[in-house]
Amino acid sequence: MATIALDAMGGDHGAAPAVRAAARISLERKAAVVVVGDQHQIESALRRTRYDAAFLSIVHTDQVVDMAESPRKALDAKPEASILVGARLVADGRADALVSAGNTGASILACARTFERLPGVNRTALAAVYPTERRRGSNDDPFALMLDVGATLDADADTLVAFAHMGAAYAARISKNPRPRVALLSNGEEPFKGSPAIVEAHRRLAADTHLNFVGNVEGVDLPRGKADVVVTDGFTGNVVLKMLEGISETVVDLARYAYRSKLVWRIGLGLLRGGIVQLKQLTDWKQYGGAPILGFDHLFIKAHGRSNDRALGNAIKVAHRAVESDLCREMGERLATALGDAD
Amino acid sequence: MATAKPHIFRWDLDKTYLATEFDSLRDLLRTAMQRPADKANVPGSAELLRALRGDSGGRAQVFFISGSPRQMRGVLSEKLALDGIHYDGFILKDNLGNLLRGRFRAVKEQIGYKLPALLDARTKAPLAAEETLFGDDAERDAFVYSLYADLLAERVPPDVLERVLDTAGVYPDQREAIYGALDRLEPCDPVRRVIIHLDRKSPPIRFEAYGPRVVPVYNYFQAALVLYEDGRLLPETIGRLGTALHAEHGFTLPMLLRSFQDVLRRGGISYDAARKLGGQALRAGIDREVVELFAREASDRSVMPARDRSQGVPDYPSLLEREQQRHRIEKARRKKRRRWL
Repeated sequence: MATIALDAMGGDHGAAPAVRAAARISLERKAAVVVVGDQHQIESALRRTRYDAAFLSIVHTDQVVDMAESPRKALDAKPEASILVGARLVADGRADALVSAGNTGASILACARTFERLPGVNRTALAAVYPTERRRGSNDDPFALMLDVGATLDADADTLVAFAHMGAAYAARISKNPRPRVALLSNGEEPFKGSPAIVEAHRRLAADTHLNFVGNVEGVDLPRGKADVVVTDGFTGNVVLKMLEGISETVVDLARYAYRSKLVWRIGLGLLRGGIVQLKQLTDWKQYGGAPILGFDHLFIKAHGRSNDRALGNAIKVAHRAVESDLCREMGERLATALGDAD
Repeated sequence: MATAKPHIFRWDLDKTYLATEFDSLRDLLRTAMQRPADKANVPGSAELLRALRGDSGGRAQVFFISGSPRQMRGVLSEKLALDGIHYDGFILKDNLGNLLRGRFRAVKEQIGYKLPALLDARTKAPLAAEETLFGDDAERDAFVYSLYADLLAERVPPDVLERVLDTAGVYPDQREAIYGALDRLEPCDPVRRVIIHLDRKSPPIRFEAYGPRVVPVYNYFQAALVLYEDGRLLPETIGRLGTALHAEHGFTLPMLLRSFQDVLRRGGISYDAARKLGGQALRAGIDREVVELFAREASDRSVMPARDRSQGVPDYPSLLEREQQRHRIEKARRKKRRRWL
């Protein structure tokens, strides 16, 4: 049974949502959760919650990295910060994966200081799923994966190639899509379009027989689901992801505006209610739980800072699924094979 | 062991000893039709009960008090015999009698049934006998057991008892039985512990108002640790129970470790007792690595301010009103859930 370490102190709303999420997961009796943080705060929330003691434990620490703190300075000054303690639990084998809604930079740095990088990985990637028109894999998954969305702002060709292999492994294991279509995000489909790093990565990925590389995709192809794994640098990925989230929120706002404006529109929206609710769920970030940081020998799921208990619960479930499907080993093997061929 | 006094263990049956489902009519019918061998135990309940008798050096008595109908006596007795449980008394509810007399409230109501039954049973017990009571969170066991304990010790004023009985809608003959038993009883303070099996995983805060005498437990490994602290179980029994939970009920070592940490944090077992248990476990031949793992669970904690461990008298009328309100909310929630299904 997988054990997930949950940094309870990182999120914007204190320990309570993390404790409720852990409690809910404990009742399902499929994974155990180690809640890391201030025991007093954790217990105060836990005693008000239904949980199963055989699937939940607490590791105390009273040091926390705040959202506004500089990651490096904060981690140097706080060796017992909850994110570091959680990462150490994973590295020591007391937990199998780490989930946190805290400071992203500090979380990645904590993992970098505690975990090992997979062979061939110079830089890690924050991966995120987004909804598309097309469904994929045996899970009939509507989500495609994009990486990186913020961990590595500037990626060279080696890094993009490694991201492609890690993303393919993730899609194969988590979306049950054995041969995911992998693409590079660029400003044109032609192989010579894009930055030098994109062009060089395109050349190498096109020659890679282990990947189902479908070439370059443009921004317009993303929601259509032309690729199952979209590879890009962290700067571009972050801008694209935030834009997708913004569009989704704007559509909902427009629907609200229409609802208030005219009776006919209100009736129309009423008739479409079921579909709109489904669409809203599909584009609701709380539903995905969190974004995995790929490239380490252990898994870290970064949840949104604003995560409530549902979002954190889903992040724990993503971590659990990744551990159960042995994702890190799969990524390591794919990278080793790709590196062997390159040599 | 704690004392050389006789000790009485009173057990509720459904959801405390037996893993019974009766949330729907179908569950009720299935339970009624089950053969003794098909009845499942709450993991570790039978092992714990046998150990309590065994570790008492012959001073323990075991009584069952259950809301199951009297017609179930044969099946339940056979089930207990299959489990190797020897008992000294077995009280079942006269549900058929209640139905025939049109007392429908009495079929579900626990206070008017369990309180007089407990008091009457106490009139037959030796004055020096101490008691440990086992119940669950599906009904009002924590309330009834605590009220019983405080009534015996004359800590509940008559007007408070009267208000409780009014709120619970206790029938006149049941009231007579309660007052009759109280008249016959010598004042005593025998209830040492109330263990509540959290079948519904109720939040622990629900039981805090009852004081440290009531300890909610998620499984019987936790109960065993509490009973070790109370001096009712030998250290080697804890190891044996853990092994049985592992071998027969799928409890892994990490599950036992987490259960241990939880009951320690909630004060069901003190740190001193846990440390003593670690030393005794090593001497009893328990694997050093296992003992060290338990010690580590105990160390992953902050220095918590000492909790108020004094046992006051709960405000029973308010507690009952709160319990009733919670029951109504849960019932409405279950009804709503069924409608959606």
